[in-house]
Amino acid sequence: MEFGIELDRGAIIAISIVAGLYIVVITTFGGYFARFNKNINDFFYSGNRFSWWLPAASMVATGIGSYSYLKYSEQGYNTGMSSTMTYLNDWFLAPFFIFGWLPIIYYASIKSVPEYFERRFNSTARYISLTIILAYMFFYIGYNFYTIGVALEGMFQVPQLYSVPLLAIFLGAYVTFGGQTAVIFTDLFQGFMLYIAGFLSIFAGIYALGGFDEWWSFLPITHRLPFSHLNENPYFNSAGLFWGEALAGSIAFTFMNQGFLMRYLTIKSVHDGRKAAFFNVMVTLPMSAIIVGAIGWIGKSLVIKQAVTGGALAGYDFVQIDNTFHTFVIVCWTTVKQNPWIFGFVVAALMAALMSTIDTLINACAAIGIYDLYKPLINDNASDEHYLKAARWASVITTLIGLLLVIWFNTQKGSLMSIHYKGIMIIIPAIVTTIFMGAFWKRFNATAACTSMIAGSIITVFSVWNPKIIAPLSWFLSGPVNGEYIYFRALFGMIITAIIGFTVTMLTSSRRDKNVTGLTISTLNEAMRDYKGGDTPNHKIGSKISGLVPTIDNSIDEGWIHLSKQSMEELAAHDGDIIYISDSRWWLGGLRSYHVKVKTKASLANSEIEMSSATYDDAYFLDHHTVTAEKII
Amino acid sequence: MVAKTALLKWLVALALFLAFAFFFPRMLLQIWGPAHPWTSYFYLYGFGFFYTGSGVLLALTSGACHLSRPRDRFWLKVVVSGYFYFATLHALWIYLALSIPYKGDM
Repeated sequence: MEFGIELDRGAIIAISIVAGLYIVVITTFGGYFARFNKNINDFFYSGNRFSWWLPAASMVATGIGSYSYLKYSEQGYNTGMSSTMTYLNDWFLAPFFIFGWLPIIYYASIKSVPEYFERRFNSTARYISLTIILAYMFFYIGYNFYTIGVALEGMFQVPQLYSVPLLAIFLGAYVTFGGQTAVIFTDLFQGFMLYIAGFLSIFAGIYALGGFDEWWSFLPITHRLPFSHLNENPYFNSAGLFWGEALAGSIAFTFMNQGFLMRYLTIKSVHDGRKAAFFNVMVTLPMSAIIVGAIGWIGKSLVIKQAVTGGALAGYDFVQIDNTFHTFVIVCWTTVKQNPWIFGFVVAALMAALMSTIDTLINACAAIGIYDLYKPLINDNASDEHYLKAARWASVITTLIGLLLVIWFNTQKGSLMSIHYKGIMIIIPAIVTTIFMGAFWKRFNATAACTSMIAGSIITVFSVWNPKIIAPLSWFLSGPVNGEYIYFRALFGMIITAIIGFTVTMLTSSRRDKNVTGLTISTLNEAMRDYKGGDTPNHKIGSKISGLVPTIDNSIDEGWIHLSKQSMEELAAHDGDIIYISDSRWWLGGLRSYHVKVKTKASLANSEIEMSSATYDDAYFLDHHTVTAEKII
Repeated sequence: MVAKTALLKWLVALALFLAFAFFFPRMLLQIWGPAHPWTSYFYLYGFGFFYTGSGVLLALTSGACHLSRPRDRFWLKVVVSGYFYFATLHALWIYLALSIPYKGDM
């Protein structure tokens, strides 16, 4: 590995202090939230209690991995602002997610994609999907460990053999004990860290260049554009990125990534889930695209300005990027004028990126391990305490597997970008197509799902050694025709899977005996009714009521509350509707909250809310704090 | 009979899409060439229109989006506006990239 920068002993110590301190603080912070895990639903899904903004803000950090900074800065330096393409092409998927997949998983209380496959198809489909999804998740965990290891190796010359296991121990610790609530709150904190450090480095770079105008003026026109050449570069072309990334990649990330799925399942309602999705695509992804790619754009402008003005910029060292893989480190180190404390903060942000992505993935893999392997295959009838313990062991095992994969990544050749997409574009096509067909085509049956996943995966892998079979498709859609089809491989795999799935479905009878109510887009109305326990959903929009004073009445069933007639009218609620009650302090984001059913009690004062002490405890309410009520459905 | 009509509708839609998928990029390439940003722009938003449009159509025809429900109406507007928001953003971006002079040639 060619090193990007050379650090003296003092700088190494300063950077290590800042980054080390950061890791200790975040581990302690995450550990605090273990107290909010009463059962495995809390551990993995935080009891579906949060307001949209909390998981949405925490997704900032989840979406940015340690690899993102290195990969996109390199891409930004090489091809410019088209590095944002992968972040800005997700809206096309919005109607499928907002009106389809999100309500399906929410109302059917789907805990994982394999569980969906079992309920939608059969247990064979569940375990085929489980294998593919775990491959996808482990790939990402290993890849994150690998990239941070490479970055640390480049900066401090610490072999990955030591740095990666040490980081894994810290990460494993707070995910193992904190669970999903810890993940969300630490990710929220780390998201801020990422943005502060990112904007700090961007500001330093723009300042070094002499201002925003100078940066833009010295940026070549090709580097200013939001899109790359349509089909020239096999590793980065607009046509391929649309079909491989916007179509297959986005479906995988949104529909199948257990980490994101679980984040959505922590949210209190479908409406709030939609808000989180909207915020993620409209705000988080564009901001993240800037944060991770901008150093590359600044680096390019800086190098051109040096060439035009005939040397280093006044007050700065000469920037020379021989190995573009180290673009982020080189540009950052130079533009902060080799200040080890500021640079240490940026390195801590790299750690934050790694930790926030990996903690989500580890927690997600542990969820799959418990819900899809341990419970159905090993022990289906144990206490919550037992499952919590098992979940923590699952987190440890997941971390170890990710760690072992670093050895495999070290044997791979090529750029970070190519290693990433080469792997992902082979793993995802068959499974994303099957999820899509399962959710949006009621007739699609178990035989077709199993056949298409297996055959689709095999043919996609086969195309790695025989890329010629992708050539006609790429030619048909005016994609690259130069023999390398990283992104078109995903489209090829999806089409093959879809054709197999369609043919098998048409040839075999649809499983009319299988109840798929609530598991396809066309059965969502029934799903809502089932979610409400058989009552008709109430879609009227009411107001939120804040400042309700809780009173305890243990004659009320657990999970039920009483409200006055006027409160019910304000909420636009009827008896039996599902109500979300939370601590009135909005900034808690629903940390102290619960879903209950409501009944009118005419004698109750308008400012009162009655519930049993068990409900009060389940909501984590505190004395002397008022409650807010909101109708869900 | 109903199933046959539905299948026929799907086949016609598929044929129309395949014709579009074949001719549309070739038309763009003929007008601007593969390196021009507007080629990639229209490629993305042309195919993207089918992508988003098919999602909206599916949501409406399946009953997942009920126009009688206020929240569904709201989210339908958001979904459609989002497509045009990103299309406008990218168009503006290309315009600015092409219209401000580059100093690197000096």
